[in-house]
Amino acid sequence: MKKRVVITGLGVVSAVGNNLPEFWNSLVEGKDGTKEITVFDPSAYRTRIAAEVSHLDPEAHFSKKEIRRLSRCDQFGLIAFREAWKSARLDQGARDKERVGVVLGAGSGGILSVEKYFRDFYQGRKKSSPSLLTSYSLATTTDHIAIESGLKGPRTTTATVCSSSSASIGVACEMIQMGLSDVMVTGGSDSLCEVSYSGFNSLKLVDPESCKPFDKRRQGLVIGEGSGILILEELEHALNRNALIHAEFLGFGICADAYHLTAPEPNGEGVERVIRIALAHAGVSPEEVDTINAHGTATPFNDIAETRGVKRVFGERAKEIPISGIKSMIGHCLGSAGGIEAVATVMTLETGIIPPTIHYEVPDPLCDLNYTPNQSLRKDVRVALSNSFAFGGNNVCLVFKKFSSE
Amino acid sequence: MEVYNKTFRNTPNSELQTPNSPKAHRVVITGLGIVSSIGVGKEGFWENCLQGVSGTKPIQGFDVSSYRSRSGAQLPEIDFKAFIKPANLRRMDRIGKIVVSSVRLAIDDSGLNLKEEDSSRMGISIGTGLGSSDTVDQFFRSLLKEGPIGAAPLLFQTAVPNAITSHCAIEYGIKGVNITFSHKESSTEMAMTFAYHLLKEGRAEVLFAGGGDELSEPLYHVYSMLGALSPGRGKGVEGMRPFDQDRNGIVLGEGSGILVLETLEHAKKRGAKIYAEMAGVGLSGSTDGLLRYDLKGDSIAKAMSLAAEELRTVDYISAAANSTPDLDRAEALAIKKVFKERTKEISVSSLKSMLGEFDGSGGIRACGLALSLYHGMIPPTIGTEHLATDCDLNVVLGQSKKKEIRSALLNGCSNGGSNISLWFKHFDHQ
Repeated sequence: MKKRVVITGLGVVSAVGNNLPEFWNSLVEGKDGTKEITVFDPSAYRTRIAAEVSHLDPEAHFSKKEIRRLSRCDQFGLIAFREAWKSARLDQGARDKERVGVVLGAGSGGILSVEKYFRDFYQGRKKSSPSLLTSYSLATTTDHIAIESGLKGPRTTTATVCSSSSASIGVACEMIQMGLSDVMVTGGSDSLCEVSYSGFNSLKLVDPESCKPFDKRRQGLVIGEGSGILILEELEHALNRNALIHAEFLGFGICADAYHLTAPEPNGEGVERVIRIALAHAGVSPEEVDTINAHGTATPFNDIAETRGVKRVFGERAKEIPISGIKSMIGHCLGSAGGIEAVATVMTLETGIIPPTIHYEVPDPLCDLNYTPNQSLRKDVRVALSNSFAFGGNNVCLVFKKFSSE
Repeated sequence: MEVYNKTFRNTPNSELQTPNSPKAHRVVITGLGIVSSIGVGKEGFWENCLQGVSGTKPIQGFDVSSYRSRSGAQLPEIDFKAFIKPANLRRMDRIGKIVVSSVRLAIDDSGLNLKEEDSSRMGISIGTGLGSSDTVDQFFRSLLKEGPIGAAPLLFQTAVPNAITSHCAIEYGIKGVNITFSHKESSTEMAMTFAYHLLKEGRAEVLFAGGGDELSEPLYHVYSMLGALSPGRGKGVEGMRPFDQDRNGIVLGEGSGILVLETLEHAKKRGAKIYAEMAGVGLSGSTDGLLRYDLKGDSIAKAMSLAAEELRTVDYISAAANSTPDLDRAEALAIKKVFKERTKEISVSSLKSMLGEFDGSGGIRACGLALSLYHGMIPPTIGTEHLATDCDLNVVLGQSKKKEIRSALLNGCSNGGSNISLWFKHFDHQ
């Protein structure tokens, strides 16, 4: 029998807020987190902006020694985790940590630290510190979280980059389904680094002004960073300890376009397939879906493929479903995008507010759905989807539902 | 709250069931694809494995004279054109070619005709520790040298870890499940775990599961700087010595191994050859430190206990032991904790003694374990001369051993502490 899985804790670090209330208020208000990059020198690039995390004082969270040891990605992950863990009230009482696991998604991980090492090493400037190399593995942030809290359940890291942390939520749910754990820490963390910034720039996928999903003027993504952490918990376990339940996680789909290394399948077939797989797994019909948190990267091709895929699943009704493109505010956070967007989706179910797609001014005839332009929307939402698509046509769709005990 | 609980417990759960979910499917291994330092393809690999051939040689292709260790278990020269369409070869980097070739070998070995299969019910689940480390390094060096203009888009698109999995999906038109895991030495074990669970739930019919890693110069550098590599005993080329009293670190290897996993119904319907059954998984975390293994063996013990429903039928353990003082001792402790007085009856071997250590070694070792169950043969642990007193297990040393194996465990243990055990059973064809 399939177990019911609910969300009992949330934590966020993002360009528009370094904790959940700040993040959510910014999204509802349509605040743009895009700014000039400071974590590395962007002056040589065609574009110089990113949705960078700011006003975050590491010393408020970590000791000096820890700050030397932890990459920027680790720091974001740990801060968001601590918020989620605390809000889930799992630190109180003697919880069985044997049955709490961690599955995170990774993108660039701690490459910012590794870049620092190899920059010094290759330029022969000075002796680089080997401790920077502990960030070489994408598993590092996941391990830090588990070790800090002594969590001894299943542990792994998904590495599908732009869809990593959505995939990780699916995998975490399966750990509970398999009976291997009662509680899973999931989502993802990622930080800006020059490798991914220059890479997306070289593919000419970065917008020099702002991220404008589904708008005709869109030129591409704005890279973001941060962390979105969710605590998934088996329902009975949550009820038995009187946990606050934010929403229910019903199921997920994961599949491939099998089309191209960077471009999405243009007709939206892969998008259609993944949404249908997710709905079937969740036991939900297309008629029940009330809102979609889009992948919406604002690259010319992605937004068309996603629009087409949504129309293939929902037909005429597609135009009635409010779609939200929050990358317009938080940027594309790569390895943590799905996690942060899942946090937003859960908040939508809990508060009945759908955050807007900002910078939306000029409609594109090829993207002709309701993208919740510029103003957030109040609506009673029962079922919400969150889409994530990665390079190489790796698609994930998550299905969440407003919690009711029935 | 009490009333609330009761209400929930009495609520029918029917709306959450998918058409396939109530019934658990049995999962079998029907194909093996191996690209290893001791053989490309099942036959060559198995012959060398049983003979205890070492893959370790002096490192070729880059300069290691400044390091303390100078050996590695590198792949032989491979003509990838034999496995991959030439037009597609151009956009793959080396690790891409290695993994895609191992999938080709697995497909051929399984006898699957992909054109006859429902492509959305087939999928791929890959584990890789560091994926395209060499491509990332090339990309970064070019960026350092020339600035943004040096950033090469063709390198960047293969630099992402999931490019390997995408290559496989594109090459073979596999449109179902598509996922990549990267969690140090338990990456491929996780990929197989996830595939097993999805098949069991009926969410797919055929999944290619496993993966691998490449031995690149930057990776060698990183391992060396972190102090993980065995300096040998200063007497030329030397491989690892799992469970030996003088073990002193790892020798890096590379390669990829893929299992074709499918539901028993599907395998029977097409009359597939069945190597073994995959019957359980156990996962557990240890928290002894970022670069530390499970020091007391409790977590590894828990993983094994969770994986094998019938511990009394376990006759063989394909160990994670990698010639480090900590892991080998912890795994031995764990085996003794779980099997107690039966410990001496259980044969233990570490194929890493031949293949070297790499994050994605689990794929090849799983192929080896399926062959062990099928042929009733256990490959030796080579290099080990004097079993350490803290590793007093029934280790198969020197020569391969003939033994009927009812069931066996494959362990994968990462530093940082993700411990996975997979349970394979002999498949009775009656």
